[in-house]
Amino acid sequence: MMKNGRIAIPSMGSGGLDGQRSGHFGHCDVFTFVDVEDGKIKQVLTIQNQEHVQGGCMVPVNLLAGHKVNALVVGGIGMRPLMGFRQVGIDVYHDAERIDIRPVVEDLIAGKLAMITDDQVCGGGGAQRV
Amino acid sequence: MIRILIVSSENVFADALTSIFKKKKEVTLTRAESGNQGLSMVKDQNYHLVITDEILSDMTGLEFAGKMLSVNPMINCAAASSLSHDEFHEASEGLGILMALPLKPGENHVNRLMEHLQKILQYTIS
Repeated sequence: MMKNGRIAIPSMGSGGLDGQRSGHFGHCDVFTFVDVEDGKIKQVLTIQNQEHVQGGCMVPVNLLAGHKVNALVVGGIGMRPLMGFRQVGIDVYHDAERIDIRPVVEDLIAGKLAMITDDQVCGGGGAQRV
Repeated sequence: MIRILIVSSENVFADALTSIFKKKKEVTLTRAESGNQGLSMVKDQNYHLVITDEILSDMTGLEFAGKMLSVNPMINCAAASSLSHDEFHEASEGLGILMALPLKPGENHVNRLMEHLQKILQYTIS
């Protein structure tokens, strides 16, 4: 269960709590940030993603670390960015089923979402993307 | 200065790159002659880019790139490859390889790689 912290969700379009998730974090339009305080949603923000270039896996890692993100929810991710997120202390959770942001965020706060495992990464185990 | 490590057990690939990079004043070049030597070097020193040959004396270039992720995932990597574009994409998925280089890279390949690297470094170097 998450009591306090910032959750990042790769999102399509303008994002937001009622928006939809993007299937690949590196190519998302925006990141929706959900700030959690005492286990409740305190505020929701969005920030623009940066340009995606081949091999630029550390660009979103640096972006999210710079915005003090604690947890990220992905539908798919490569091993390199996953290792990068681990290195900067951002927990990476996995949900490859649901497109809507709100239920995924609620499950993460409630402690019902699992962290991604090494065999779920793209290229390593054929993980599905949202 | 941009610090680059070339990992190559054969001279053909390393020499081709060295002769091109020599002309670039903003680059400092180091070489490792095996995958394990390269892994030990990326553990101890910080490089902006590692360029690996396709086959090393102790592992393949892509195996090296995969092992490097456990040591330092922040380092950018390019790899020599004789595979087609699609085959390389499939073989390297998830490793975050910047670019595949031919086994005998020319100046145009290196220039393209450096432009690509600069683009990434502008977002990731603070």
